[in-house]
Amino acid sequence: MRKIVSFLVFAILLLTLLPAYAQESSLTVLCTPQEDWCVAMTQAFQEATGIETSYVRLSSGEALARIQATADNPEFSVWWGGPADAYIAAAIDGLFEPYVSTYAEVLDPRYVGADNMWYGVYVGATGFCSNVQVLEELGVDVPTSWQDLLNPDLKGNVAMAHPATSGTAFTAFWTVITLEADKLEEAEAGTGYNEDGAPTEAAIDNAFAYFAELNNNILQYTRSGLASGPMAGRGEIAVSVIFSHDCVKLQVEGFEGVLVTSFPEEGTGYENGGVAIISGGPEPEAARMFLDFTLSPEGQATALQVNAFQIPTNPEAPVSDLAVDLSSLKLINYNFPAAGSMRTELVERFDTEIAPAPTE
Amino acid sequence: MEGSFASLNVTSERYEVFTLLNHTRYGAGFRRIWQDPVLAISLLLVVLFIFVAIILPILAMVGASLSEEGRALFAHYLGERAYQDIITNTLVMGLTVATAGTAIGFLFAYVQVKMKAPFKRFMHLIALVPIISPPFAVATAIILLFGRNGMISKGIFGVRYDIYGLTGLTLALALSLFTIAYLNFKGMLQALDPSLEEAATNLGASKWHIFRTVTVPMLLPGFAASFLLLFVEAIADLGNPLVLGGNYEVLATRVYISIIGLHDNVAAAVFSMILLVPSLTVFIIQRYWVGRTSVVSVTGKPTGTPQQITHPVVRWVLISLVLGICALIVGIYVVIFVGSVTRVFGVNNAFTLEHFDFVINGYGSEAMVDTTTFAIVATPLAGVLGMLIAFLIVRKAFWGRNAVDFGTMLGIAVPGTILGIGYLIVFNNPITLTLPFVGDNVPAITLIPKLTGGRAILGGALAIIVVYVVRSVPAALRSGVALLSQIDPAIEEASISLGADNAVTFRKITLPLIRPAFLAGLIYAFARSMTTISAIVFLTTPQTRIMTQQILNETEQGRYGNAFAYCVILIGIVLVAIAILYATVGSTTGAERSLEGGA
Amino acid sequence: MAATQSNAADSLRLESISKAFPARGGEGEVRAVDTVNLNILPGEFLTLLGPSGCGKTTTLRLIAGFETPSSGRILLDGKDITNQPPNKRDMAMVFQSYALFPHMTVFDNIAYGLHLRRLSRSEIRTKVVETLELMGLKGLGDRRPNELSGGQQQRVALARSLVMEPRVLLFDEPLSNLDAKLRVQMRSEIHRLQRRLRITSIYVTHDQIEAMALSDRIVVMNKGKIEQMGTPGEIYHTPATRFVADFIGRANFVDATVIEESGSNLVVEVLGRRFTVPAKFSYSPGMSVVAMLRSESLTLRQDESLLQVVIDQAMFLGSEVEYVVNVGTKQIVVVEQDPRGISVFDEGQQVGLDFAQEAIHLLPA
Repeated sequence: MRKIVSFLVFAILLLTLLPAYAQESSLTVLCTPQEDWCVAMTQAFQEATGIETSYVRLSSGEALARIQATADNPEFSVWWGGPADAYIAAAIDGLFEPYVSTYAEVLDPRYVGADNMWYGVYVGATGFCSNVQVLEELGVDVPTSWQDLLNPDLKGNVAMAHPATSGTAFTAFWTVITLEADKLEEAEAGTGYNEDGAPTEAAIDNAFAYFAELNNNILQYTRSGLASGPMAGRGEIAVSVIFSHDCVKLQVEGFEGVLVTSFPEEGTGYENGGVAIISGGPEPEAARMFLDFTLSPEGQATALQVNAFQIPTNPEAPVSDLAVDLSSLKLINYNFPAAGSMRTELVERFDTEIAPAPTE
Repeated sequence: MEGSFASLNVTSERYEVFTLLNHTRYGAGFRRIWQDPVLAISLLLVVLFIFVAIILPILAMVGASLSEEGRALFAHYLGERAYQDIITNTLVMGLTVATAGTAIGFLFAYVQVKMKAPFKRFMHLIALVPIISPPFAVATAIILLFGRNGMISKGIFGVRYDIYGLTGLTLALALSLFTIAYLNFKGMLQALDPSLEEAATNLGASKWHIFRTVTVPMLLPGFAASFLLLFVEAIADLGNPLVLGGNYEVLATRVYISIIGLHDNVAAAVFSMILLVPSLTVFIIQRYWVGRTSVVSVTGKPTGTPQQITHPVVRWVLISLVLGICALIVGIYVVIFVGSVTRVFGVNNAFTLEHFDFVINGYGSEAMVDTTTFAIVATPLAGVLGMLIAFLIVRKAFWGRNAVDFGTMLGIAVPGTILGIGYLIVFNNPITLTLPFVGDNVPAITLIPKLTGGRAILGGALAIIVVYVVRSVPAALRSGVALLSQIDPAIEEASISLGADNAVTFRKITLPLIRPAFLAGLIYAFARSMTTISAIVFLTTPQTRIMTQQILNETEQGRYGNAFAYCVILIGIVLVAIAILYATVGSTTGAERSLEGGA
Repeated sequence: MAATQSNAADSLRLESISKAFPARGGEGEVRAVDTVNLNILPGEFLTLLGPSGCGKTTTLRLIAGFETPSSGRILLDGKDITNQPPNKRDMAMVFQSYALFPHMTVFDNIAYGLHLRRLSRSEIRTKVVETLELMGLKGLGDRRPNELSGGQQQRVALARSLVMEPRVLLFDEPLSNLDAKLRVQMRSEIHRLQRRLRITSIYVTHDQIEAMALSDRIVVMNKGKIEQMGTPGEIYHTPATRFVADFIGRANFVDATVIEESGSNLVVEVLGRRFTVPAKFSYSPGMSVVAMLRSESLTLRQDESLLQVVIDQAMFLGSEVEYVVNVGTKQIVVVEQDPRGISVFDEGQQVGLDFAQEAIHLLPA
């Protein structure tokens, strides 16, 4: 009995100690890149500044949902990584605080968000990550177009993330919308894009028709954008729709010779990884320092420690040999503001029309 | 311990019989409680706990789902084909898992009790393993074994087997949940009066005939109870559908994506409500119908020894089946352990400690400390609370006794995600009381501080601990009730008659006597807290890192090596905790062993 | 018949105590104890006797405080203790199941209540050792209850209560779990102890022999009410009701008729013979009454002048022979003590039935 009493006393002591260590860290980063980069970046920042830094990793859609959900009492001060579409959506909702970074001048203007609400930290391209062994077994060639993914032989052998939770998937989703808009525009000007440059209803419907068809080949919509890559690596599926740099990372980290990267010839989308200060966050000062750090050459160099093969936005940051050469790709004209503003509406439609639908 | 675990699931109202035998003393019991301030305060705290921590969140969830917005969604979801399919999927999965899990559990129990078999102890331990199994572990291991490129499916049989969907879910969930059925059946088979079978044999019945006409009918309530419990557990499960679901969508994952991906509390509440209806229905059927019709008296001391099944063909077929399943479970854990020290299991099998390095030197160690701390805090609370409620229910006949029992059991009867959403809705803002007529300059009194989300009290730790307690108390309660019902109330009355008050009696007499149940409750609470995911997945904050959440992240991002390393560490922590609990709480004396023998 | 007037010497007093429980079916209630008035004198050994369900155990539990009366008061030494919690009442209870603490040694069991009184360690030791000796448990202090025989466990249970030197000692059928021989032995031990220590004791049993052997006074209860209260002799020889007469001892009931009154006596006709017996209540001539005849006060003799009866059944029981005889259409039980000295009759034999006038106890019909 005495033991139980002392046990309880111990428990109560622990409870009283909890807040102490809960407040220890003076910066909490909302982090969207791969877990290991989150570790490397926050540790490098902590070493450079002495600020105790921790992070929570959420996929970009989840991160956006979380910031929206906690807008009146934010848990995080700064959000780093993940495609800019979600950043633009958040900026439209007034969830960010403008900040003129010390690197604002150094960056290409493309990487500075409207009103200094957000900045671009890296760039990467959407691609297909395929398991050559599985493709061989299925008798299917490495896909080189969006149409290739609809090959009936790939039934249940394609995976991508859910655009609602994953920025990776949303980028792919928007890419298809843009391509459909281009097709319509080519046939008859004004039918693909409206006067604001946003894709028309017809273009979006066509894109949904494409994904409805693709749904038959999809094994699973994962939560995290990168998840389908290892699935392909382990041979559970043949083709994963992810960012090419994530596929290269997998090749370096255990799947060499198994996975190959390819790009759709119709055109591919790209992400502009963002960083922004969350309005009303608990540690605004440290957050600004962190934002600057992610734009600095040292900060961006952390990518190389963890096989993150995105292209850094700071011209002075080192670039890996394995990073994709964007000039070799047919890139679509990615309308970030339009993507950002239409994001919520699109993913909700996707979630009710495509994701729960049974496959034929 | 096993006996007590079994009793967790037998919700038969045995204690009711006991009190009936010892007179029903409602009104007086109530008055008596108010005479003893300690007792009165305990009861008040228990009722407060049940209301605030269990009932209120569930009501809030129900309220949100019935809002105008929610009602529109109901119409939409229930009317659309795709969503009808999701509901059907959920129920079908519940049925297949309940069937498979009950069958496996019965098989294990039958071989264990009725047969001479090799490796019996081993079979028993294997059947208990799922209790300490982290979520996702079984599902991921199953993919590696039976997936498209699985070691067994592809490696041995050369088939690109499609494990995703109903097949995989049934396999993973049945293997994770059959323990409930096993312990249930084992207790019942052991308690089954052998003289019944002897009588049947005497009358000239064959073993098969006895099995059909005596054993199975006697165990029918056990089959019903196991089936229903497994059904509820299966449809509430979140981890397995996330990993193994493929395009087989179920309600639990819909709830999850609504909150995590779309931050739509109302949609989540609506899905939860659709999930809550079958869960609660089944729980109530289980409690009031199956509980009442139980014909096996588990308390009854069997006379003689159970008859053994000796038919060689029957025996060896059943034993091989059990051993086959054991091998499968062992295989799953081998995959987890080997997977945690290989680069990419099945693709690049080089030995490496990089996963452990990442997990321990990254933020994993923080998660380990946090999770273990919360579990350590929650465990004794759940254990003591469970015993206290059991004591009040069995010994202090008061008005509302059944409601207290029911309310406590709701903590486990409702799917974890539902509790999580309820907490998000109720505790995301401080609950304050503004005193009327005192003017605006008097600040409102904070009754309950903000418990969830960012800047919550104690970094959100309190909400997680409370959820751990809520999820663990029912098991402690059931084992406490089961054991307490078998202890002569006169022992406690003797203590009171000798001058001890209720508190002293509870501490010095009741608690030591129900120590086996207390120990079982503690072990269960710790294991449950360490391995729970669905209830806390919406409650983690930047300050609280939970291992199961980390495992979910790693699994979701396809880094199985890291996930397995977490699993190995988690299993290690749980095993160490069980050893410590046995050493501190479990040292039983001869007297208590004899009591346990009767238990 | 129940004393209701205040008595300064009362140790414990129950005033119009009633206890109702909700009925099993849910509707209505069952009166387990119905307006019971009871005085227990200091040092008295009082037994509550009755069949199961008569309310005797509930009465005891009301006294102990484990139940609260629905109405009425309980006074101890003139102080109202009706709402006092059981642990605050200076009483100790010996349970039918012994209720020993299985996780404690015999010593700790006995010392339990003393610890709660915060006595010093040495005081506790002295008292426990003394009690162990008194109860013949010397040397068993380190044993655990499950290592003791039934009789020893009963002694420990008794010792645990005695050591508290309570104002009132309560016994709830303490001997019913023992086998016949041990029961007799423990009965005599309780008798000796109580006479020696003179602790006020209330004893519940359904065993009339136990009740008569131990008690100063017996309270016979039936259906929640007191049927009769008195010394064992009064209860046995002059039962107030047919129920009491039937419950205690072996009684035959035969119809009798009042012939006439003669002073304070009555002339009644019983089994065809006329007797003059003291009048216990008012009679009118011609009235039908019931005469109770104890089996052992009847005797069978071969005497043609007596009422002739036919032996239906004869059972030799060692110390006595029990006959069931037919008197017309009625059966009567006759017990002959020490059958060595007299002849044993055979079944079917016709004999004469004799009894003295003192054997007759009249009851209202």
